[in-house]
Amino acid sequence: MSLSDLVLSIADNKQMLGLRYAEWATRAPSLEADIAAAAMGLDDLGHSRVLYGCLEPLGSDPRGPDRESDPGSLRALPYFDRPWDEWAQFVAANAILDTAFTVMIESCVNGSVEVLRQRLRKMLMEERYHFLHGRSWLRSGIDAGPMNVAWQEAVEWFGPPDGEVATMHREGRLAMGPAGLRGRLEEQLGMKAPKLSIDWKSWDPIRRRGKPGAVDEPTFGMLRGLEEKKYAPPSAAAKQA
Amino acid sequence: MTSKYKRVSGDAVEYEVFARKTRGEPLHQVGSVVAPDDDLAMAYARATYDEERWCEMAIVRKEDVIELWQPGEA
Repeated sequence: MSLSDLVLSIADNKQMLGLRYAEWATRAPSLEADIAAAAMGLDDLGHSRVLYGCLEPLGSDPRGPDRESDPGSLRALPYFDRPWDEWAQFVAANAILDTAFTVMIESCVNGSVEVLRQRLRKMLMEERYHFLHGRSWLRSGIDAGPMNVAWQEAVEWFGPPDGEVATMHREGRLAMGPAGLRGRLEEQLGMKAPKLSIDWKSWDPIRRRGKPGAVDEPTFGMLRGLEEKKYAPPSAAAKQA
Repeated sequence: MTSKYKRVSGDAVEYEVFARKTRGEPLHQVGSVVAPDDDLAMAYARATYDEERWCEMAIVRKEDVIELWQPGEA
């Protein structure tokens, strides 16, 4: 796994996080929370575009043609495979996973790779408000279920103690290794991760997840623009052909 | 499902939102948000009133504003 693979993983996760946030833009518990969901969704979709734009300057773009047809080629976490049914899932993603991605971005910004130091810094300012939103809702008390899943996936996503993230940290390209990232996440949220059981042998180092599976078909279709084509008038389809 | 989140209506208070586009102009009120704490109010203010490129934004609890007089009293 290269630094490009890691950046692609951040980008794919932020894209999916943005989409899942946006799905709650009319379902959150208050009008303000609706607007915040929409705004954070736009932020994260924008961040994913910036991150995709870093792949070429990094020297290699790991995206292959299979991304157009295979949902399993996307590198997002299992948490985003299905739309969220409960507000608690939104809050756990907002507080724990969004902050985990921010902590990794912080690690890139404070690392030695110039393109990431320059281009990702602004994200940290925008993410401050995602963090305030997530932490505040988290403190209001949510079910432990989604929170435990989010912690598990966040720590898995940071990677094993002797994996590539640890190597990139030793080389100075990242400012934090897996233990440092976890510590920073716990410090930010003011809480310890629950007791976790991680089987690194079954962990996928490219998709950075422990579970198989992929994003649901309607969401994948939306990402690829296939859903729009389905409802396009016949004249538009003829023009495209 | 959302009724358990009492804080949204029961515990929430109103905040006034102030902003300015340039250093040369004074802060002026651009709107308000309702939130149960300062952190969430900041997140809501930034999300709700981000249509302009503000150089500064601030929030104040409405209950902390000291009024000298109101319309019709001067």
